[in-house]
Amino acid sequence: MARRGEGSAPPATLVIGLGNPLRGDDGVGVRVIQALQAQALPGDVEVVDGGTQGLGLVALMEGRRRLILVDAAEVGRSPGEFVRFTPQEARFLGTDSHLSVHAAGLREALLLAQALDVLPDEVIIFGVQPANLEWSSALGAQVKAALPRLVEAVLAEIAVSPVTVEQGENKRG
Amino acid sequence: MTMTNVNVNVHHLTRVEGHGNIVVDVKNGELVKCELQIVEAPRFFEAMLRGRPYYEASHITSRICGICATGHATASLRATENALGVEISEQTALLRKLVFHGEIIDSHVLHVYMLVAPDFFGVGSVLPLAASHPEVVKRALRIKKLSGDLCAMVSGRHTHPIAMTVGGFTHLPTIAEMLAMRERLVAAREDMDETIALFKTLPWPQFERETEYVSLKKDDEYAFIDGVVATTDGFTYELGDYRKVTNETCVPHSTAKHTKHNRESYMVGALARFNNNYEQLHPRAKAAAEDLGMKPLVTNSFLNSAAQAIEIVHCIEDSIRIIDELVDRGLEEEPLYEFQGKGGEGVGSCDVPRGILFHNYVIDDEGLVQNANCIIPTNQNYANMEADMRALVPQILDQPQEKITHMMEMLIRAYDPCISCSAHLLNVEFV
Repeated sequence: MARRGEGSAPPATLVIGLGNPLRGDDGVGVRVIQALQAQALPGDVEVVDGGTQGLGLVALMEGRRRLILVDAAEVGRSPGEFVRFTPQEARFLGTDSHLSVHAAGLREALLLAQALDVLPDEVIIFGVQPANLEWSSALGAQVKAALPRLVEAVLAEIAVSPVTVEQGENKRG
Repeated sequence: MTMTNVNVNVHHLTRVEGHGNIVVDVKNGELVKCELQIVEAPRFFEAMLRGRPYYEASHITSRICGICATGHATASLRATENALGVEISEQTALLRKLVFHGEIIDSHVLHVYMLVAPDFFGVGSVLPLAASHPEVVKRALRIKKLSGDLCAMVSGRHTHPIAMTVGGFTHLPTIAEMLAMRERLVAAREDMDETIALFKTLPWPQFERETEYVSLKKDDEYAFIDGVVATTDGFTYELGDYRKVTNETCVPHSTAKHTKHNRESYMVGALARFNNNYEQLHPRAKAAAEDLGMKPLVTNSFLNSAAQAIEIVHCIEDSIRIIDELVDRGLEEEPLYEFQGKGGEGVGSCDVPRGILFHNYVIDDEGLVQNANCIIPTNQNYANMEADMRALVPQILDQPQEKITHMMEMLIRAYDPCISCSAHLLNVEFV
């Protein structure tokens, strides 16, 4: 079961799965969270089903050392393949002048968190290539087949301790 | 100088929760076209409910909207409970009101600060606002964190209310959690005082167009869950008669249906609730309204966002009251509902952040949903948004086209439209 939000000192690592489980493969992030919630996780890890929240995600980020995000993403791979990357390794496509909460909630949430200096030191994104984003409450075959590997990869990431950043050092992201 | 030709075409309106296009065409000073084109229709989930067990309905429908998960879950549960003849306890009613307040605060604060405020600060989005006025954005996030935690405390998780079920809750908050939350709610008064002070200074556009305002209504409280459907034109309906209000029709330029009642259109949302239920607002919320110079009947649609700020004040105060009542009563584990082998039809209604929402289910004797209808607030507002656009354009024709476009965007944003339910795909290019 998910931990309740507390007023202070939240768990150091926050894992957020994003997407709408009614939109086919877009629900992959949420399925990963459901799988993680069924496992015993270290005490300093919180997992959150972020659904289709956009900027609202920023409110969850403050005070964390590490943020792990799982989301369906156009990463130029075959459906079901996923890529682990950091914001430094990627460019999120979109237009800055016209902020749309809908279109790229995660992209804007990361930019806003950075602007407010609440982005965790370490941000890791698992982007999963979807095949189908039509109305369906089930994952497509390719993404569904990839789910166990993806959960394993996220668990392996969780098992690594968050990087400690010295005071004064520039924040990444 | 009057511009005689204006052509506004905003493709994928920004800063609303979804997709929508604004098209305005003025030729020789005559308004020839003024449409809000909706390119996404969130109606497919009704088919998804068919054949599913009654206890899954609230979990499926709570995914319709990432912002209104609790609202959809609550309307869904009320429809199911009315169909199956399930009575809920006072404790359940109180907990539902509490989590509902959390979601109203959560959604409103995102809208008024992140989506509306940038217009008034003259910046394109909340990103430059975070750079120029970080204290404003941080205040919004503080309130947002509080409301998210309030929702999680009652319904089990941030963003997805898993503990809410037919007839009750599968887990309960502890007294200690509620007392800690109470302290944070009391502390939030300061942030809300500053919010109202800020909103008082914002240059709200002058625009008046009276319409029919439709919301839930109750005698004894500011209605968010259950009650009757009331309109400022003097009509009231039992929830079962909701179709007499909505009268859905198809329009050629949009895949979303339009609704109308006594006039060409009606408005739902915070301003409609404010106009119908002002008397039931908490005194602190009434004081905030007075500060903002608002008293019914308010007919400026731009002030829907100001009404949202007033509602945040109300919901914080009423949450404190509910927590006090729950702590006084003490919380008891209650037996969960068991299906009795008899189906039926029921309507559930809530006034969610964007306005009145209806769920209507037919459940068979196996406990399976046979038919479902859902009317979301944004659909009910489309006709009124267009009527506002038609009224506003002629008043601002002397402005530069860029300004007209911006005013149109601001007007539509004021309704806080949700055209969502869509996939949120991150588009990544590796460097």
